[in-house]
Amino acid sequence: MNIEVINKMKEIAGEDWVLSDLSQMAGYLYDETEPTIRPKANEDCIVVKPQNALEISEIIKYANEKSISVVPRGGGTGLSGAAIPLTPSIIISLERLNNTIEIDEENLMVTVDCGVTLAALIEKIDKHESLFLPVHSGDDGAQIGGLVVENAGGVRAVKHGIVRNHVKGLEVVLPTGEIVQMGGKLLKNNMGYDLMHLMIGSEGTLGIVTKVIFKLYSKMSNTMTLIASFDNNKDAASVVPRILQQGITPLAAEYLDKINIEKISEHTGLKWPLQDGNAFLIFILDGESEDELFGKSERIAEACESYNALECVIAESSKEQRAILEFRSKVYPAFCDELVETLDIAVAPSLIPDIIDDLTEIAKKYNTITPICGHVGDGNIHNMILRVNGEKPPYFEEIKLEMLQTAMKYGGTVTAEHGTGKIKKKYMGLQYSDREIEIMKGIKRVFDPHNILCPGNIFDN
Amino acid sequence: MTEKYSGILIFAEQKDKTIHKVVFELLSEGRKLAEQLGVGVYCALLGPGGIDAKELIYRGADAVYYVEDDEIFNMPDELAYSENLVNLIKTIKPEICLIGATSLGRSIAPRVAAALETGLTADCTDLRIDDDGKLIQIRPAFSENILAHIVSDKMPQMATVRYKEFQESKPDFNRTGEIVSFNSIRPMDRTFEFIKELSRKETDISDSDVVVSVGAGIKNSEDIKMIYELAGLLKGTVGASRAVVENGFISREHQIGYSGNRVKPKLYFACAISGAAQHIAGMKDADTIIAINTDPSAPIFNIADYGIVGDIYEIVPMLIKRLKEINQN
Amino acid sequence: MRVIVLVKQVPDMERVKFDTEKGVIDRKSAGTEINPFDLNALETALQIGEKTNSEIIVLSMGPHSAEQSIRDAIARGAHKGILLNDKKFGGSDVKATSVTICAGIKKIGNFDLIIAGMQSVDGDTGQVGAEIAQILKIPHISFVEKLNEFDCNSLTVTSNIWEGIYLKKVKLPALITVTKDINIPRLPSFKNKMLARKAEVTVWGYDDLEEHLEESQLGFKGSPTKVKKIVIPKTAHREGKMWREDYSHAVDNLIEVFKCRKILEV
Repeated sequence: MNIEVINKMKEIAGEDWVLSDLSQMAGYLYDETEPTIRPKANEDCIVVKPQNALEISEIIKYANEKSISVVPRGGGTGLSGAAIPLTPSIIISLERLNNTIEIDEENLMVTVDCGVTLAALIEKIDKHESLFLPVHSGDDGAQIGGLVVENAGGVRAVKHGIVRNHVKGLEVVLPTGEIVQMGGKLLKNNMGYDLMHLMIGSEGTLGIVTKVIFKLYSKMSNTMTLIASFDNNKDAASVVPRILQQGITPLAAEYLDKINIEKISEHTGLKWPLQDGNAFLIFILDGESEDELFGKSERIAEACESYNALECVIAESSKEQRAILEFRSKVYPAFCDELVETLDIAVAPSLIPDIIDDLTEIAKKYNTITPICGHVGDGNIHNMILRVNGEKPPYFEEIKLEMLQTAMKYGGTVTAEHGTGKIKKKYMGLQYSDREIEIMKGIKRVFDPHNILCPGNIFDN
Repeated sequence: MTEKYSGILIFAEQKDKTIHKVVFELLSEGRKLAEQLGVGVYCALLGPGGIDAKELIYRGADAVYYVEDDEIFNMPDELAYSENLVNLIKTIKPEICLIGATSLGRSIAPRVAAALETGLTADCTDLRIDDDGKLIQIRPAFSENILAHIVSDKMPQMATVRYKEFQESKPDFNRTGEIVSFNSIRPMDRTFEFIKELSRKETDISDSDVVVSVGAGIKNSEDIKMIYELAGLLKGTVGASRAVVENGFISREHQIGYSGNRVKPKLYFACAISGAAQHIAGMKDADTIIAINTDPSAPIFNIADYGIVGDIYEIVPMLIKRLKEINQN
Repeated sequence: MRVIVLVKQVPDMERVKFDTEKGVIDRKSAGTEINPFDLNALETALQIGEKTNSEIIVLSMGPHSAEQSIRDAIARGAHKGILLNDKKFGGSDVKATSVTICAGIKKIGNFDLIIAGMQSVDGDTGQVGAEIAQILKIPHISFVEKLNEFDCNSLTVTSNIWEGIYLKKVKLPALITVTKDINIPRLPSFKNKMLARKAEVTVWGYDDLEEHLEESQLGFKGSPTKVKKIVIPKTAHREGKMWREDYSHAVDNLIEVFKCRKILEV
């Protein structure tokens, strides 16, 4: 990166907060996208760590002047390559915007800086007897700004929905440098277009989120986790819609097949509580009283039984419940040495059994397997395409396309929660018409006339 | 009752004739307490013949009661140890009895206390004498969230005391004292059919006192040798950030972080680790954190007690050199 | 064979709140659960029971609410649960607790093996097991991390003690305390959980234990150790000292840190 840019960044953020040496920048060039499919990062970059929105605004104004790309970066836990710079870029690491976590008990809202990690936010909220934020992204290090612009999902979204459902207000530095407030502590707001919801899930292309207002929920005093095992995968997949139809809404309803269980046990040494079975369901429930929870659990257990469940066990202590969730969270690290890509398909929840069947069949056709886990309560599954002899198999593009087309057949989506980023943009045409994509590109042009912010995310420019 | 009981008795744990270092710590603390009370400090040495009992005198004991038995003290036989210790305590009648809170100490002490029908406080981290000459036993509880001050109204006042909480007493070769031999008693009924040592305990990274970790700033797997050398000098184990593991420089068992091991050592030494939240989740509870990184803005410095902005390739060798010099002296 | 498992109901340590200002522990803020190490003890008993067709009895001492922990143990497979509960037992220290539990064990009678967790997460003392063994005049093995062999007459286990790993074989009756490494406790099946919610728990008070116990040995009166005061330590903050140049000076400082933290011996 040229010296003039380096000096300007040092002038804005201070000498200590600029990295221009490649060895120091190495940790800022990639996110957690699988190495087999991620694009190569452009190394002609500079990392700057501003301390507030004003400094970010100055950096952006300068970047516009000089036509340099800007890539904002949170915890680096993304899975779609959105934080990987493809052109010489100023990488804005948001880690220093982590001072504010203001809980407003009167309105049940929290205002939080974008660089605060989800773990830190949840820890703070947990200290309050009665407040709760139902987000569990699976990675402690994820930062709030990233969660919002990626519209993250995770395992606790069945009852309260994904991140979009919790966001009430944003402070954003626009790609043209202005700092604006979108939304606020408002539960209703119909004035004009809703730019805030456009910003959520925009994957860094429309602005840099610097502050977020989340709605909080009241914490239920009791939680319980159930696990049920099934011989038949389709039986397992069929239970969840049935339970939701009965009006029981768990915090989470997760599906894991046997391959996942075996791999996680092998990789981590953790033990899965159930021995037999080819597919497993995890239900996390919350409620006001133990009796209420046992009542709901009984109905879930009955539903599982009617679908030939082998066994159903229950965890009540926080430690045992956490152990189950932690086991579930190890799916990605357990497979990371053997994975080409984890897909992120979603369909209507009732269609989950069908799509699991179809994906399994497709894998068979290619003489491989596709381990499946997923947030089945949300209709979202993660099926994996595995390496062959440690390499990306020659049929990778073909099998992936076939799987995505199957999702389309069921009226589904290519990506439910990981985002389009750089690795799924070539499938935009699968899901959207030319006109729709044209409108999206038009929106990008209005926000970012010089195309400086995250070029290459969502579509090529 | 109190007149009958006098002095401080310290259990001098040994293994293979080597006295455990916690005993020297208890001697230094015991001396301080003894001076306040104006009484003597005694050691109960239960072990095979040929142990250098004088070292206990040099390090602060006024007398050593040496219960010598070549057979029963070679194995961690709780019955043998506790019965002999009970016998000794009944004879000496100390007002205070301190036992190191090692695994053996924590297993024997309750048997001894129960046999003497006295109280016992576990795992003390501090000891004081109150105005009435009673021992205040201070111990953490509730996962270290509270410190309880405990006194005992029966004699002897017994406590196990945590290792590495006090300074060791230094030997003073001019000190004199008596070494009293004491006959051992053998438990009548040999209820233990056998006790065999299978292996010495290997320190696992998660219960290591010192972890020296290396991050993305290491250039190749060969250079990790210097990290091992530093860890060796500090009697610690080697950890690594995810990047180093992914580069194949070190195996996955060494990975520290959210998706690796979580550690809580006395000292965490982060070499060229920037401190991504992923990594910090695995080590933030360390007692002391030292970090070396060329990047002054690295997040690791936010949680470090001591930070050096610089290159590990320059600083680690300096440190190794200094540590070696110290070892030679 | 008859196996007695000692369990303690403890607050959920992750949810206990400490008021640093007032120096008070708010136990009510947390739910309760079986001491996690005792779940390992129960699992050990269940594994032995499955092979030797043994009767597994869970014994606890505590308030009435501890019946819940006993029911949890029954849901996980224990055959019977007994709670020692009496106002007279209140304020017991390690000694009084051990004496009271021993009375309960004597009343149960005819036991072959007693299994306890190596310590409780709230008290952290890890002393009750070995004291009970002494009072009952049976051998004990602490820190058992593996069950090697067992039959109705003896037990061979691996114990992590004396800076080593030891294989010990002991004649029954005996008492062992187990570490968390010995096994991963099973979860109760939902069906058993629902059944156990209605299970009968035997409650014994002082009157039931009278023949094995004197009143002077009980509760606060029978406890030689007394808590004089509770201090909640302030959370340590990081020192945050930085050096940017003069590395030789920095290294000197680190050496001092090593010495003072007892990393280096001096």
